[in-house]
Amino acid sequence: MSDQTRFPQNIDARDAGPIAAAQSKSQAQVVWEQFRKHKAALIGGVILLVMYLLTIFAGFIAPYGINEYRTFPVTAFMPPTKIHWVDPDTGNLTRPFVYAMDSERDPVTRQRVYVEDTSEKYPIKFFVRRPQATYKILGIFESDLHLFGVDDPARIFLWGTNNLGKDVFSRVLYGGQISLTVGLLAVWVSLLLGLLLGGLAGFYGGWVDNFVMRLVEVFAAIPELFLLVVLASLLRDPRNPLAQAFGLEMSSGQTYLMIVLVLGFVGWGGLARVIRGLVLSVREMDYASAAKALGASETRILWRHLLPATASYVIVQLTLSIPGFILGETGLSFLGLGPSETDTSSWGLMLRDATARGISIQFVPWLLIPGIPIFLAVLSWNLVGDGLRDAFDPKKRR
Amino acid sequence: MLSYIIRRFFHLIPTFLGATLLAFVISQLVPGDFFTQKLLEPGVRPETVARLRAMYGLDQHWTVQYFRWMANILQGDLGLSFSGNQPVNRVIGEPIMNSMVLVVFSIILLWLISIPLGVYSAVRQYSLGDQLVSAFAYFGLAIPNFFFAQVIVLLVFVLRSWTREAFGFNEVILPVAGMTSSDHSSMNWWEQRWDIFRHMIIPGFVVATASIAGYTRVLRGQMLEYLSSDFIRTARAKGLSERKVTYKHALRPALIPFIAGIGGILPTLIGGAGLVEVVMSWPGITPTFLNALNRQDIYVVLGLLVVSSILLMIGNLISDLLLAAVDPRIRYD
Repeated sequence: MSDQTRFPQNIDARDAGPIAAAQSKSQAQVVWEQFRKHKAALIGGVILLVMYLLTIFAGFIAPYGINEYRTFPVTAFMPPTKIHWVDPDTGNLTRPFVYAMDSERDPVTRQRVYVEDTSEKYPIKFFVRRPQATYKILGIFESDLHLFGVDDPARIFLWGTNNLGKDVFSRVLYGGQISLTVGLLAVWVSLLLGLLLGGLAGFYGGWVDNFVMRLVEVFAAIPELFLLVVLASLLRDPRNPLAQAFGLEMSSGQTYLMIVLVLGFVGWGGLARVIRGLVLSVREMDYASAAKALGASETRILWRHLLPATASYVIVQLTLSIPGFILGETGLSFLGLGPSETDTSSWGLMLRDATARGISIQFVPWLLIPGIPIFLAVLSWNLVGDGLRDAFDPKKRR
Repeated sequence: MLSYIIRRFFHLIPTFLGATLLAFVISQLVPGDFFTQKLLEPGVRPETVARLRAMYGLDQHWTVQYFRWMANILQGDLGLSFSGNQPVNRVIGEPIMNSMVLVVFSIILLWLISIPLGVYSAVRQYSLGDQLVSAFAYFGLAIPNFFFAQVIVLLVFVLRSWTREAFGFNEVILPVAGMTSSDHSSMNWWEQRWDIFRHMIIPGFVVATASIAGYTRVLRGQMLEYLSSDFIRTARAKGLSERKVTYKHALRPALIPFIAGIGGILPTLIGGAGLVEVVMSWPGITPTFLNALNRQDIYVVLGLLVVSSILLMIGNLISDLLLAAVDPRIRYD
């Protein structure tokens, strides 16, 4: 393996001749070419693309609203709706349809069971308008058009319902709007703090360096989960002056902002350490000394030489730290310290339903479905991060 | 070496002071205190609450409270828990022990599983087994451990009802909730240990999964790097058996990150055990912490923060020392 990978550039240059060698490629082109050869990373990228698209168009794809539920006839803990393809009268394939559900009590266990009411068929319709479930795409385009749906009183719950009878499928789609984006934003908060403090520490050295690194150590000395939980519960407290500035009850947008800030605030230490190390090593490079000898100012060296040199590494580190933030958000929501149930949805919060008191998971296994998108998102971000790392690494060129 | 150890130890003191100060300041930012809710109760007079506050020193300025608390910590006293009026040491002692038992067990599992897996997948690179191990590693790193715990609980329940229907018993499958059986107190000492051990197998495995995945990948990478290096070629050329080459020459240096990681494992596992403890109702640090936070029992919260950050720093210290002892390239002057 090593023999083939060690000198590919030289071989390419020799084969292609002088004309091709004259066409130089930008770093972005090289990285993209390398990234495309990384199968697993490409798969991860495609999964992420699909997930983010589904999230953007959540309102359209979800048959029901984020907070929509019906108290009568009851729909709580309804198992996934069975979709029928065969007409029971003729035995032929037919347009897919569902039945409305009746709830009954099991005569022995007194548990609620749902049975199909086969008196009337409700075909699955596409592009239906449901004025009771309007949505906005990207906060701009308002609509009530849904990809699919069935007529009342039937319901189509692809992945069952939760304790309040809300559609798990719809809520998983909406949940991505929080769970998939919190990590993306928190990483910028972390990067900002990490770049600022790590960059200062590495560039100026001396007591600045000492102070920043002690600060990083202090933050690292408190277990991350506990710090997250304390900060989140502190910011949520309605008596807190910060919360009061927002108004007594935090709105969903404010809670979202709070989670982003808390995650970013807790996660900056590692990035700061990495950036400091990079700046330290690059500062000693010959080209940095040369620039200094040529009379370049400190700002110029910082912006023109040090930051670009660290960029590729930072991009990789950022990508690889997104999964951690996603897990952080789902963990906080799982503990009930994230977004609230009423007007938002998050995958961690949905998993919380599955461990609520008095629930035996073997009777409602579909409540665990929201864990699958978390797994997929974290896995894909890891794959993409690994792919980027290899693509940026000149020693791993293929 | 000794001077290095002493220097590293003194290095910890400012970090420890900083961490306690940070924890204390954050705890002070929480408006109100344990007794604020008491004021709302109809039968409680404001004077009583004021007296209680004075008793616990809550009426003092926060800096005074901090120094008092700090002085007590240095004497090994973490203060009083408001609910139940017990010393914090007694309230948090048992959960910490329970968590440590689980975490130590996870570390043993981690070593027992990830070293053979890592060696195997490096020696048989690109084989089916290696690819399975890689797939497992990605799986283990990506699945949130609380979700994994929930899935395992579901599987165990399903298996149980299945074995009950098929064979009429369900005792063979390990427990997934709590740390002890209901008849724990009537057992003798050995049976009690066995009982706890049975209860911790599944949570211990769940806690260790992510670390197993990570360390297997690290060891595989290290082994591959060393197996293709010159001293291995020399060893083979000398006619050493492949066994000796693998285990004596390649594995030894490849294990260095493992040893360096011991200290790092401890804090990750304490953090990672957290949500698993919640799902599988293991009476450890995290459930206690969340409860205390809910009740605003500040000194219990602070006590757990202090103890866990001490554990964390000791873990890091141990790993640095081990690394210095094992890796001859590290100078410690």
